[in-house]
Amino acid sequence: EPSQLQLANGALKVSVWSKVLRSDAAWEDKDEFLDVIYWFRQIIAVVLGVIWGVLPLRGFLGIAGFCLINAGVLYVYFSNYLQIDEEEYGGTWELTKEGFMTSFALFMVIWIIFYTAVHYD
Amino acid sequence: MSTMFADTLLIVFISVCTALLAEGITWVLVYRTDKYKRLKAEVEKQSKKLEKKKETITESAGRQQKKKIERQEEKLKNNNRDLSMVRMKSMFAIGFCFTALMGMFNSIFDGRVVAKLPFTPLSYIQGLSHRNLLGDDTTDCSFIFLYILCTMSIRQNIQKILGLAPSRAATKQPSHPMVGESTAGTH
Repeated sequence: EPSQLQLANGALKVSVWSKVLRSDAAWEDKDEFLDVIYWFRQIIAVVLGVIWGVLPLRGFLGIAGFCLINAGVLYVYFSNYLQIDEEEYGGTWELTKEGFMTSFALFMVIWIIFYTAVHYD
Repeated sequence: MSTMFADTLLIVFISVCTALLAEGITWVLVYRTDKYKRLKAEVEKQSKKLEKKKETITESAGRQQKKKIERQEEKLKNNNRDLSMVRMKSMFAIGFCFTALMGMFNSIFDGRVVAKLPFTPLSYIQGLSHRNLLGDDTTDCSFIFLYILCTMSIRQNIQKILGLAPSRAATKQPSHPMVGESTAGTH
């Protein structure tokens, strides 16, 4: 189909996004699902980074808050909302790890940028 | 716009540029070569096959089956090692370039506070976050700390967006012990 975007490893096909919000969607390709988790994490990192930077939310509370929300939201998403078998993907821990460090670094960068911009500019 | 925030944005920009530069160098020296393309396809195919086989195998599977898997694992390990060797060329080139670049940036940003941290880093992190900065304010952020954070987040995302990151199955298999991936790692 000419309207579908075909991209390589890691990037998502446009059709995948229609599956993301359907709780009963069948995920045939493991990697596709893990990529969704990965990018979802990056989006959460950006959103929280902006909010935390603007509020501002400082210190360890900010970092802990991010970790909990990031892990928590994704956990609720993949275990409750979607009916997937976690064991198929190596268990809850593997799904929690997916993209976490990169999203953490991204969160830090956004948090620092917005904090500096809003409160020290 | 204050000078400090201008520095903050500049460093993010530098990080994006260096990540693209690193991928560009790797593309010229590695990605576009036939050898790499062939090896990468082999490794991905083999690791996916191996993973599927490992999933379906049971405890009571015959010795023959287990031997077959061992042989496949060995073959995959060798291919992975060859793949790492091919990437080594670009890693040396990148290492060289970046040493020069970092030297230059470090002297440009020496003593400059490039951002304010919304937290007080742990004491051993301060060695990095407060590097070459005067004063006692530990929420001052140095060039190198921000640059490292940016690189960690941007490099891997760029690789994923450009479709250059190796597949998960391929990275799960052990490769040559001495050759690690680039700073940000690839997934």
